[in-house]
Amino acid sequence: MRIAYYPGCVAQESGRELDLATRWVAKALGIELVEFPNFSCCGSGFVDEANLTLNVAINARNLGIAERAGLDVLTVCSTCQGMLTLANHRLEDPAMRARVDPALAKIGVPYRGTVKVKHLLEVLTSDIGLDAVKARVRRPLAGLKVGAFYGCHLLRPGAEAGFDSPEEPHTFEDLLSAIGAEPVMYRGRVMCCGFPILFVKPETANRIAGRQIADAKDHGAHAMATPCPLCHISLDSFQNKAQAVVGRDLDMPVFHLPQLVALAFGATPDEIGLSRHLVPTGPALARVAPSAGASPSA
Amino acid sequence: MAVAKTLEAPIEVYRFEPGKDAKPHYDRYTLTVEPHTPVLTALLRIRTELDPSLTLRYSCRSSICGSCAMQINSKSRLACQTPIGPEIEKHGRLVVEPMRNQPVLRDLVVDQASFWKHYDRIEPHLKLDPRHPMPEGKPNPMTPAEVARFYETPRCIACAACYSACPAVEADADFPGPMALAKLYRFVVDPRDQAHQDRLVRIQTDGLWLCLRCHLCTEACPKDVRPSERIRDLKELAIAAQGGTEPGSRHAIGFKENIRERGQLQEMKLVRQSDGVGGMLAQAPQGLRLWRKKPEIAKKPRAIDDLDQLEALYRELDAPPRDDS
Repeated sequence: MRIAYYPGCVAQESGRELDLATRWVAKALGIELVEFPNFSCCGSGFVDEANLTLNVAINARNLGIAERAGLDVLTVCSTCQGMLTLANHRLEDPAMRARVDPALAKIGVPYRGTVKVKHLLEVLTSDIGLDAVKARVRRPLAGLKVGAFYGCHLLRPGAEAGFDSPEEPHTFEDLLSAIGAEPVMYRGRVMCCGFPILFVKPETANRIAGRQIADAKDHGAHAMATPCPLCHISLDSFQNKAQAVVGRDLDMPVFHLPQLVALAFGATPDEIGLSRHLVPTGPALARVAPSAGASPSA
Repeated sequence: MAVAKTLEAPIEVYRFEPGKDAKPHYDRYTLTVEPHTPVLTALLRIRTELDPSLTLRYSCRSSICGSCAMQINSKSRLACQTPIGPEIEKHGRLVVEPMRNQPVLRDLVVDQASFWKHYDRIEPHLKLDPRHPMPEGKPNPMTPAEVARFYETPRCIACAACYSACPAVEADADFPGPMALAKLYRFVVDPRDQAHQDRLVRIQTDGLWLCLRCHLCTEACPKDVRPSERIRDLKELAIAAQGGTEPGSRHAIGFKENIRERGQLQEMKLVRQSDGVGGMLAQAPQGLRLWRKKPEIAKKPRAIDDLDQLEALYRELDAPPRDDS
């Protein structure tokens, strides 16, 4: 399949390992990522708090660029996914259309509203399909218990996001099973990571992250995995702060979703930037049964 | 007449009487119900037929009074509005627990003092200009367009399902909760209210910016008030009224200006825009820790192609109000 690749800011900056892993997985599955160096930031849920109409227009421009190329959009970030999807819905309001359309006309990027925005999780589980994913696995992640952490904007508001249940999703766990890992069910998997207030009230943000990590750990997770690089910042980059606030050692490796898929497909840790994580991923990788899948007859 | 399909429903109910029980436990009951039987009906049957000591709050049984909010298979819901069948189908069991974020008084009944305290603090009543009191005996009409701005919010029945579902309430006692903020929004856009500016200024320092916009309140709300959307509206109104006076509003404005420059987020610069130089110094040890693994945080990202298009959108839609006089 061909799809417009919308990496988002973090995957091009501090979360580059997410971009590396996405490209690895796309190549392995024959997904052609069409790049648009004129895509802008989605606003990340902050710009729309300052100016909703501007934020809708910014994302309508992004979607208009993809529409002109006749492509749907692939995201690798729950927040980008949410912001682009919400823009699509907010443009259904004629009053919003009336404000945004003239501005888009002035810059020569009209948007009719035909582009579908899909997160990599949806592409893997719906477009590619779990059977095809399973068929590509070279090294099943057997023995690794993983707590999926969805990221709010991928799921909610459910009326707009609409690809999985907003409170009781299952697609990420289905994907984890397909690559041989054992999904761990815990309440925190659909909760917030605290990122939106990391710069507003850090201690509260860290406490929220710490609680979700502790919840995953208490349910037996060896690692967590997230489809959102902002959650990754909260859960991995600031895990030291989170564990100080919740007052216990967490030591929880946190993978980006495509990193785990790439590992199961046979990627090496270097190819997908695992050394860039703040919490070492080695202990989790050591859980994977060594001979599994390497020689099925052995 | 078709025979209704029935099912054997295993129901686990949270039980706790502070002062008497050392810790909470779950009692398990099995009832024969129809798939559309509401959870509340089952709980009342348990109380009538099996265990008269079960304590719960309820009144109207029609999703109007807002009394029977509780956790049903971990989701905050009205018990009278939630049919058993789909829950059993999805989870194989039905677990009923009291709402979260409020201390348990007994079994499924919680102490709602904090919920109502936050509601009182927003002063949920019209504040009129004393020089222009409501005309006695005469209507004070609003146009349909004015009413449309807060059409959803008066549907709120104050059931506290949103308060129970909210991770910000769970983590920080300063957060007023979704319901109080949605109700505040309702007064801030009511044309009859004369305290809009004062309300917006006060809420900026009173927890508005602790909302995580996780939208869990919007999923929990039985009346489709969509509190998370109303909180977003409130933030935009607060910025329009007062600008960036708090870390939260400074961060939102800083982010907007940040991506205007290159079309992409400049991560390090955002810290300075939100926290100031002092805040940046406070973050320095953590920044250094991240920089060792992720040196890109200190670099400027490339500017996007066609950046002038983005700038034009800002000029069209984010220009300061013009004075045409």
